[in-house]
Amino acid sequence: MNSSIEVKNLSFSYQPQEIVLKEISFEVEPGAFLVIVGPNGAGKTTLLNLLCGLLRPQSGSIKIDGAPVESYSTKKLAQKVAVVRQEFVPVFDFTVTEIVSMARAPYLGTFGFESENDKKIIAEALEMTDITRFASRPLARLSGGERQRVFIARALAANSPILLLDEPTNFLDLKHQVGIYDLLKVAQHEKSKTIVAVTHDVNLAAQYCDETLLLGADGSYQYGRSEDVFSSKQIERVFGVRTFAGKVGQEKFFIPLGKFAKDSGEIKSERDSS
Amino acid sequence: MAEILTEKNLAIKVTLCFIALIVIMGLCTSVGTQKISFAKVLSGSGDTPGSNIDYEIFVIRLRRVVLAAMVGAALACSGVVLQAIMRNPLADPYILGISSGAGLGAIIAILSGISWTFWGGSAVTAFAFMGAVATVWLVWFIGHFTGKSQVTGLLLAGVVVNAFFSAVIMFLTSIAKSEQLRATVYWLMGSITDKDPLVLWISGICILAGIIALFLVCYRLNALTLGDEQAIGLGIDPGKTRLVAFGFTAFITAIAVSLSGLIGFVGLIIPHGVRLVFGPDHRQLLPISALIGGAFLVCADTLARTIFGQEQLPVGVVTAIAGGPFFLILLAKYSRKVSWLK
Repeated sequence: MNSSIEVKNLSFSYQPQEIVLKEISFEVEPGAFLVIVGPNGAGKTTLLNLLCGLLRPQSGSIKIDGAPVESYSTKKLAQKVAVVRQEFVPVFDFTVTEIVSMARAPYLGTFGFESENDKKIIAEALEMTDITRFASRPLARLSGGERQRVFIARALAANSPILLLDEPTNFLDLKHQVGIYDLLKVAQHEKSKTIVAVTHDVNLAAQYCDETLLLGADGSYQYGRSEDVFSSKQIERVFGVRTFAGKVGQEKFFIPLGKFAKDSGEIKSERDSS
Repeated sequence: MAEILTEKNLAIKVTLCFIALIVIMGLCTSVGTQKISFAKVLSGSGDTPGSNIDYEIFVIRLRRVVLAAMVGAALACSGVVLQAIMRNPLADPYILGISSGAGLGAIIAILSGISWTFWGGSAVTAFAFMGAVATVWLVWFIGHFTGKSQVTGLLLAGVVVNAFFSAVIMFLTSIAKSEQLRATVYWLMGSITDKDPLVLWISGICILAGIIALFLVCYRLNALTLGDEQAIGLGIDPGKTRLVAFGFTAFITAIAVSLSGLIGFVGLIIPHGVRLVFGPDHRQLLPISALIGGAFLVCADTLARTIFGQEQLPVGVVTAIAGGPFFLILLAKYSRKVSWLK
């Protein structure tokens, strides 16, 4: 059920002169949780779109389970990779169940009706994300956090070994942010999913993810185990902001310090000893 | 957990709507300015044509009712699919220029006074069909090469072609003679008139085949309404789905328009109304819209031919006048979804 992602010397740009991604290589082991972190414009979402086959690499290769992404048909790729994009309200008034059911589209027969097995998988996904209670509500009548859970439920219902997420915790309050990551962690462990998530949130990423790909806006990147990649030196360099780095128990955290921060002169950002 | 649409559930709803459509067609056939007796109708056509007036009137009415049902079904389905493709609840069958193309074809036929028939169809029908198909092809061609997102490109191409052809239509109407003008205006308003049985058979079969083909892409349309990125993520090829859906829609719309002229409103309000009541799942929306659309146009046409006695109204006028308020009532009643109807 678990699959690997292998990226080799991947480069991509939208226009001939600019560089979005340059010679990037990394590998996601089956069942690992990789987070892609970086400032706006570093190409995080571009990389995600490359991974799910929406964009084609200009040079280098992306392999899923050993086969290049472009060798998969749209349908076959959807059976391997499920994508959660930023939540939105659909044009038409689909209910939660209807949206989650759409995940079964790559498995449906000629007439496009869900089988008993499909229904079981859908019910499980609703249960796992704890949205069964508003399953018959239209999406417009949910809060942003609830909607995000619906889209995660849809990705789970696809039963794909790989899960890609684009900023899953955007616009969510603290409790829901943690809730989403808890949910992903459960999916990683119980369903042995390979997960790749794009985020701005350095702290949650450091807390939850095994591996980190840190993309710089200048085309540089760093890839490794989360505890190695996250240091205030790296964060300051990549995001271009002074940060205070601290530690609570085993968890590292980073707080950005702006120009007008109180006591801004006195706090020396602690460098990691490691 | 909320119920997922099943084949059985859909079959029951479709059967009920189908029975309703047949009942309405039967009732509307028996209504008219001329009273007919069913006993006489059942006795058959008689030995010489014209010996049983009741039977003849019945057959003419029946043909007209069948035509109205076909056209209504085609327009409603077309509206459903185009609203999905365009991701816009305000789209209607004419949004991509089919109306003006068909109109131009019809006017050319009327002005040039061609009188030959084609498989039992008049020159106006044949020209309108060719005009519609040519326009759709033109719009698709232009839309495809604008390089923008396909939907925006199509929409812009449709608007531009529509505007241009409308101007040509206006120019041609301004130089038309008075009786030609009347025929043209009547056509542009949309009207159901008696058609040759052969035409009815051929177009009926084509429309039915088109609707069945569209039904098979319905679950893909569901994903497509969320946008191309989402559709790809769900394993649906948006370009291919759009091409298939658009092709069949254009085909049934062209047939409907060439038979009846520009009947407005059916393709907009029927899909809308059905969606308000039954929800947006296209696997259900399409067949039910077809049946309700047919029934709606049958009723509207019956009104059009009876309300002023011998004087017949163009059915397009009735659909607009009756459809508007009806739609407002629906909108007010169901804008908060009623759970027992789902």
